[in-house]
Amino acid sequence: MLTARRRRRVMAAAAAVVSTTLLLASCGDSDSGSGGDGKTLKLWHYESPDSAMAVAWNAAIKEFEKTHPGVKVKFEEKGFEQIQKTAPMVLNSNDAPDLMEYNKGNATAGHLSQQGLLTDLSAEVTKHGWDKKLSAGVRTTSQYDAKGVMGSGKWFGVPNYAEYTMVFYNKDLFKKYDIAEPKTFDELTAAMDTFVAKGITPLANGGAEYVAHQYLYQLALSKADRAWVDSYQLYKGKPDFHDAAWTYAAETFADWVKKGYIGKRTTSAKAEDAGVSFMRGKSPILFSGSWWFGRFAAENKFDWGTFLWPDSNLTLGSGGNLWVVPKGAKNKELAYDFIDITMSKKIQNLLGNKGGVPVAADPAAITDPRSKGLIANFNTLSERDGLAFYPDWPAPGFYDVLVSETQKLMTGSAKPDAYLDAVKAAYDKGVQDR
Amino acid sequence: MTFTVDERGGRRSAVVEARHQSKGTKNNRPPRDSYALFLLPGALAFLVIVVVPFLMNTGVSFTEWQGVGSPKWTGLANYRELMDDAEFWASFRHSLFMVVSMAVVPTVLGLVLAAALFDFVGKHFGSRIAAVLRACFYLPQVLPIAVAGIVWSWILAPENGSLNELLKAVGLGGLQQDWLGDPDLALYSVMGVMVWVQLGFPLVIFMAGLQRVDPQLYEAAELDGAGWWRRFWHVTLPQIRPEIYVVLLWCTIAALKVFGAVYVLTKGGPGGATDVPSYFSFTTFFEKTQVGYGAAISTVLTVIVLLLAVVGLKLQTRAEDAEQGVVR
Repeated sequence: MLTARRRRRVMAAAAAVVSTTLLLASCGDSDSGSGGDGKTLKLWHYESPDSAMAVAWNAAIKEFEKTHPGVKVKFEEKGFEQIQKTAPMVLNSNDAPDLMEYNKGNATAGHLSQQGLLTDLSAEVTKHGWDKKLSAGVRTTSQYDAKGVMGSGKWFGVPNYAEYTMVFYNKDLFKKYDIAEPKTFDELTAAMDTFVAKGITPLANGGAEYVAHQYLYQLALSKADRAWVDSYQLYKGKPDFHDAAWTYAAETFADWVKKGYIGKRTTSAKAEDAGVSFMRGKSPILFSGSWWFGRFAAENKFDWGTFLWPDSNLTLGSGGNLWVVPKGAKNKELAYDFIDITMSKKIQNLLGNKGGVPVAADPAAITDPRSKGLIANFNTLSERDGLAFYPDWPAPGFYDVLVSETQKLMTGSAKPDAYLDAVKAAYDKGVQDR
Repeated sequence: MTFTVDERGGRRSAVVEARHQSKGTKNNRPPRDSYALFLLPGALAFLVIVVVPFLMNTGVSFTEWQGVGSPKWTGLANYRELMDDAEFWASFRHSLFMVVSMAVVPTVLGLVLAAALFDFVGKHFGSRIAAVLRACFYLPQVLPIAVAGIVWSWILAPENGSLNELLKAVGLGGLQQDWLGDPDLALYSVMGVMVWVQLGFPLVIFMAGLQRVDPQLYEAAELDGAGWWRRFWHVTLPQIRPEIYVVLLWCTIAALKVFGAVYVLTKGGPGGATDVPSYFSFTTFFEKTQVGYGAAISTVLTVIVLLLAVVGLKLQTRAEDAEQGVVR
């Protein structure tokens, strides 16, 4: 039987061992990234199973296993939020996959590249010719400099689809109220006036998520140019949040809420609510991204179409999420082979026909008329260098600020000037913390 | 100094008591010594799961860190920044509202309901009906908060939400609101949901407490002409005071830590109107990747909860000791 004193000593020693082990484990270095068995490719992505990307990538998995006999793809479906919140910790551990989908942008892929958690893919990009397949606008989010700023430097990711925003409109409702497809911004405004007069809120919106502040950013983009975007997104100069573009955007957006183009009661609505509102024929217009396209094609019970935001050279959009190879990946060669398959014509054409925006498809192989239009509009944007990324990209946590401040603008608890002040303060702090 | 009152009414110092116990010979060891070994697994688990991470989190709170790479030691800078952070203080103000909706209101309502179910429903309609009603009130406690939150977000939705539709149906369309989207209403809406979620807990505890109240006390009070309200005030309340302490303490801590409901219902919005410290810490930590600052927020929150728990337990112990005649 132990004496009380000895027991206390034993317990103290046990506690010390446990806590020291924990502390050491938490401070441990990640795997060097070699030593894989070459028989398993551990793959993570977070696309919903029925999306164009998931369909294409599932086909790529089959193709990969066919061309790599004896190699198994161990696919783990993840959630967007899950990856968003835990990627830095996971990639810093021994549990990192060989290949994963990750968000593009300074605050995400840029941040991880800066921390040395991602593999430099530059040599592979040249070797496989992936750079030749990506247009300048799409390529921007693949390269990051030493500070983790996109647009130049080493390749840390490869996108194999693109995304951009557009106006989705309900052709049946437009026809019912005798409104032609708007070709100019004035015509779009006139169309919205007509709907309001008929007691219909024209724009589907979700104030609790990205939809609202993307309307606002698009309004700013319609008065902006590439230098403005570079200043805001790539830190090439100091953005002026009270310039003509931002002021016009904030004032117009607040005005649209007052006029009833945007429902004041959509302040707490989520992006899903905005999409559903459009799909149910409640709101005739939704300005949002190509990620809705496949779902609308599958679920809309009315005739619908899309057009680019009128009288604007720039719109929100970029290369899609990236394939990244974690620094600690154990089977990097297999990961490169898989990326190459996803960039092949066969997989790219499939992605295009399923409602995605492929980056290297054969235009002749896209048979669906709506998908043809989607890709044609993207090509138009690419040719005029019109992809202006997303407003929340410049700094980590900026998304929440934009959501919160735009909600205040919608409810009238902040005036446009105060809105711009708040956005500027958050931007300056976020960029300074980078 | 602690004194125990023995049966003869004499007081004996706890120190003297302890000395007597420690003089036990090897063969006559007091049994409580051997219990320490049984506590070891639990103590180790507590150390690994609670103490060590808390100490690590506290360590991180003195750094500037983005979650990966090397933390930069900044001393008390995060805490100084917290003191001047209007958002942080606003989130704490919202926490006080949460204390009202998760501790004060459910405790008061729970007391009245428990007494009514026990005293009135149980007697007039049978204990089975009372048990069914109790289970109904307790159901929200069993539901995962994510599920309850989603259901409530449907109910409170401005367009086609059940509540607004109900108001319209009964001719009160003018009262329709954007319950979660109006900054003047959102916090009260979340509070309403939290009352619904929390009410079952005090009710069940109080009903259990009422089981052990001697019925003769009620009978005596009734014979003396006390009505239901006076019996409730002079018999029920004093008799279940320990349960009230436990419920208030437990619910207040739960209110300070509330996260899930805010995350599901409003994400702290609109415009930060429903932000609470735990959610503020979460977004700072994960969204803004200001890990050091987020850790400082959660450290402050933990310290406040601990202080509250210690004070609450001390008050409870003091009250119980007073009842049992133990002097400290």
